[in-house]
Amino acid sequence: MFYAPETAPIDLPTFKSTISLPYTLTPGKSAGTFLAEMPNRRIVGTRFADGAVIAPGQDFSPVDGEEPVALVQAPETGELTAFTRTGGVVLGLVRLDGCRNAFVHKILADIYTLAVGQRVAARWSTSEQGTSITAIEGFVPAPDAPVGNVLPLDTPAEPLGVINYAMALHYDHAYGPYYGRMFDEIRQNGVVMGVRGSNADEALLPPREIDDITHKRTGTWKACADTGTIRACSLINMEVYGQTRPVPYAYAEIVLDGASTKMIHIIEIDDLETAKQTIKPGTRVRAVWTQGERKGAVSDIERFEVIGE
Amino acid sequence: MGREVGIVGVGQTHHARRRTDVSQAGLVREAVDRALADANLSMDDIDTVVIATGPVLFAAVNQPEKWVVDAIGAQGKSVVRLTSGGGAGFAGALAGYYQVAGGYSDRTLVVAYDKLSEGQLQYSISTLYDPFWGREFAVGIMGFSAAYWRARMDVLGHTEEAAAMVAAKNRNNALKNPYAHQKKAVTVEDVLASKPLCWPIKLLDVPPISDGAAAIVLASDKVAHHSTTRPAWIRGMAYCCEADNAPERSLMLSEPLAIASRQVYRAAGITNPRRQFDVVEVQEPYSCFELNYYESLGLCPPGQAADLVASGATQVDGDIPVNPSGGCMGANPIGAVGVIRLIEAATQVMGRNETHQIKDAKLALVQSGGGWANLRGCAVLSA
Amino acid sequence: MGLSKVAVLASAQTELRPAWRDAQHIDLISSVVANVFKGTGLTLDDVDFVIDSGSDVLDGRSISNCGFLGALGAHHKEEARVEEDGLWGALYGVNKIRSGASSIGLIVAYSKPSESDIDLYWSAMVEPFYQRPVGFGQKAALGIQAQRYLAAHGITDEALAAIVAKRWADAAANGKVAIDTLPDAAAVLAGDEAAWPLTDLMISRPLDGAVAVLICNEDVARRTGRPPVFITGMGTSLETHNFADRSINRLDSVAAATRMALGKAGWDKAAAEVVETSGSSVVGELLALEGLGLAATGRGAEIALDPAVNASGGALPADPIMATGLVRLAEAAKRLSTPVAAGAKAPATALVHGTGGVAMQTNCVFTLEV
Repeated sequence: MFYAPETAPIDLPTFKSTISLPYTLTPGKSAGTFLAEMPNRRIVGTRFADGAVIAPGQDFSPVDGEEPVALVQAPETGELTAFTRTGGVVLGLVRLDGCRNAFVHKILADIYTLAVGQRVAARWSTSEQGTSITAIEGFVPAPDAPVGNVLPLDTPAEPLGVINYAMALHYDHAYGPYYGRMFDEIRQNGVVMGVRGSNADEALLPPREIDDITHKRTGTWKACADTGTIRACSLINMEVYGQTRPVPYAYAEIVLDGASTKMIHIIEIDDLETAKQTIKPGTRVRAVWTQGERKGAVSDIERFEVIGE
Repeated sequence: MGREVGIVGVGQTHHARRRTDVSQAGLVREAVDRALADANLSMDDIDTVVIATGPVLFAAVNQPEKWVVDAIGAQGKSVVRLTSGGGAGFAGALAGYYQVAGGYSDRTLVVAYDKLSEGQLQYSISTLYDPFWGREFAVGIMGFSAAYWRARMDVLGHTEEAAAMVAAKNRNNALKNPYAHQKKAVTVEDVLASKPLCWPIKLLDVPPISDGAAAIVLASDKVAHHSTTRPAWIRGMAYCCEADNAPERSLMLSEPLAIASRQVYRAAGITNPRRQFDVVEVQEPYSCFELNYYESLGLCPPGQAADLVASGATQVDGDIPVNPSGGCMGANPIGAVGVIRLIEAATQVMGRNETHQIKDAKLALVQSGGGWANLRGCAVLSA
Repeated sequence: MGLSKVAVLASAQTELRPAWRDAQHIDLISSVVANVFKGTGLTLDDVDFVIDSGSDVLDGRSISNCGFLGALGAHHKEEARVEEDGLWGALYGVNKIRSGASSIGLIVAYSKPSESDIDLYWSAMVEPFYQRPVGFGQKAALGIQAQRYLAAHGITDEALAAIVAKRWADAAANGKVAIDTLPDAAAVLAGDEAAWPLTDLMISRPLDGAVAVLICNEDVARRTGRPPVFITGMGTSLETHNFADRSINRLDSVAAATRMALGKAGWDKAAAEVVETSGSSVVGELLALEGLGLAATGRGAEIALDPAVNASGGALPADPIMATGLVRLAEAAKRLSTPVAAGAKAPATALVHGTGGVAMQTNCVFTLEV
């Protein structure tokens, strides 16, 4: 990388990684009430001390952070104040009648028929009956819709305390020249290779061009053994989301023979009490390679096992 | 040189396992309102704002300061977010400190929070690991932290009991903390008998999972007196790091914390920390970390942390009380903890700590950190 | 107060590419950190602190700075992660040096949007209850912003396309951006719809890359033998999250940041010989020029083609998210410190602009002087 490659290949294979997890998000009183009222087909707004109403309701004024004094029911009609289309979907800003603000939602119309200032009305979804803003499918042009009024919100629903949410992020990580070579060697030859540190014979794992400590160029490639010594380990006896192995097992940071930095892996154990004695810093271990086809990943080593005396 | 900077107002939420009555943004608002009221200020008086949180994955909002800004009425102001894992709040306070010390602002509000009930804590933390190299084996940083504690025990001849003493001390201190939510008296034996989660870490060595926010107002010497006659002056503050995958990384001591403390002690004129400090607040995400900090901060010689805690010196009535607030064991809204520790130490030297005021406390030490135990900092506060 | 002056001493960039498929984050980062010292007489040992900007969401890691500390050259130094464009990292670094606590700082910013889904990066930024479920995100916000601007000021698509084409041509001439085919105005207009009325090329192009900037106090700057480029003013402002509640056809936060920066610099108006802006779209760039005070409302297009403005090509052809504003600082500082031909007048002042958030919710402005 000191000398950037002349070519810029963009079709190299990538390492696919996904981070996917569930959430329970708390919307707060105003949004919580708004969402709780979606099945009732009421649009909840908030009124502030100066009389201004915003919809959908907010616990804090987007303008100055003031807290509202009351929940209100906003009308289903209003005007379009701006619009665009992205991915074929028309989105617009809609100001409901009697409200100070506008908010974003889908506009269910051909964009070329739209004009700023035109009257629109909410269209309720026939399929979404739940507590989501998408219970409003979108807004449709409604040139003759009478101007609606903001009303007191009679017997509001209890605000939702939590809503379930999921986020999944997908990545195509580049291997780069160093990880690329390391994983190629693991796949093709079943050998873990690192590069020598800038001022040492032992190999850095994972390898890289610049030594983390000295920030100088690292040395030549070196094959490490698939045996090593535990530097640090703990006994995992707790189930957590996303875990790939049944508990208990040992989490181990292992320095392979010939390397100076750690490889993280697991060691199977039968029970905690025995493992406390048999698996400890300094314990010698060896890699147990997969019986199947190697893919070029750390998981080509299934686990490590203690080397018997 | 730059200007003197003081903490002139503090506020924190009453932390909880799960707050379903406020959003992330609403949680932040509570702490900000309290800190501004404490400093006799309104948001109009604040020049700049620093927001700090743990990783985005904790709560599914990318760059959450851009949402939170509305809830605190800071629209239009200079607002920036710092993040540094567990040390986020401390890193945010340090950025705020330099905004004032460097003359960019006269008053800076620093607010830090995490609403950990909303996500999957350990899984989120596991994504700290390199996706190519070890992430699939991670158990947050609990597996890692337990592993290095075990290594320390083996080398130093410490036992699990030393950390259990820390856990019991902090948990019992938290009983009187009005902002803590984990309040149950425990004995050392209770800790030792609790379920191993990542042995040697056991259930009672582990802090609760919390929703909480904390805010401080920093002011230059020029304007500090508008808020209080007795600011907590920041005499030194630093936050250092080490590359994680280093051949020589032993974790017997925390190198970055030792580096930071040398720098901070020099600035603050500290030559004998054990004698000079009246009170210490540390961020101990697992009880074993507190032992490491004793040594890395020079409260005892290397290797003697177990003796220090056993001597009772770090108890509330000892000569060097550590975490009279209860530390993380009372509440652990991760990103906020650095600011909470600053608040607990600041109120000590301001003479108005609400949990355990240490008599005549004049000089306080604060430690915070995050990452794979490789981001570590400390600060010295004085009356 | 006697606060010390802070100079931009040097910078280094990788080429900005649609995809650095043959390099990891650490490769890009360590490359610019190694290269930034060239010609300065300094080494990493001289650096007191490192401030870095990157995004956990783009990187696919939590606390991503933690895994990159070695590449950043931060081992055993003070380090901070500002999860915002690197220009905000520079702002932090300047304050740190001005306080007298440090003398030399390294500011690094990077990203590899090619590795992630850029639309998710943006949609994760809007609040999850009202905005995300209806599909709101960066493109929609930029589209609405543009629709309003064009309608209010009678600006044509063709005028926008001409500006975009010039930016790409300038970027190609500057030589730091990978460009396969240089689009002309017709190609800009013929592009796919990103968000009506904007075509793909009217929105800034996310690229992979890294940049490092070395900043230092006046003493160090004077000793290096180059004419120092001083950072004389800085300001930043974050607007309301609610896009619909922001001023129409104005970026108030650019104006507020500019007021702060000019106030600190002692400039009575925003006149600079070098201007580098970060527009998230071509309309965003015009709004930024207006917010900076370089053009009246609705008149941004009239100065957009001025040779002083975005001579590097700016952010439209090359937007390495999280690094774009710091690239602008590097480019502007380079212009001020590069010797000019005999008889030519060297530029002495620059305005640098960085942005972040959906539809440019937050903005940062620096003034530079030699």
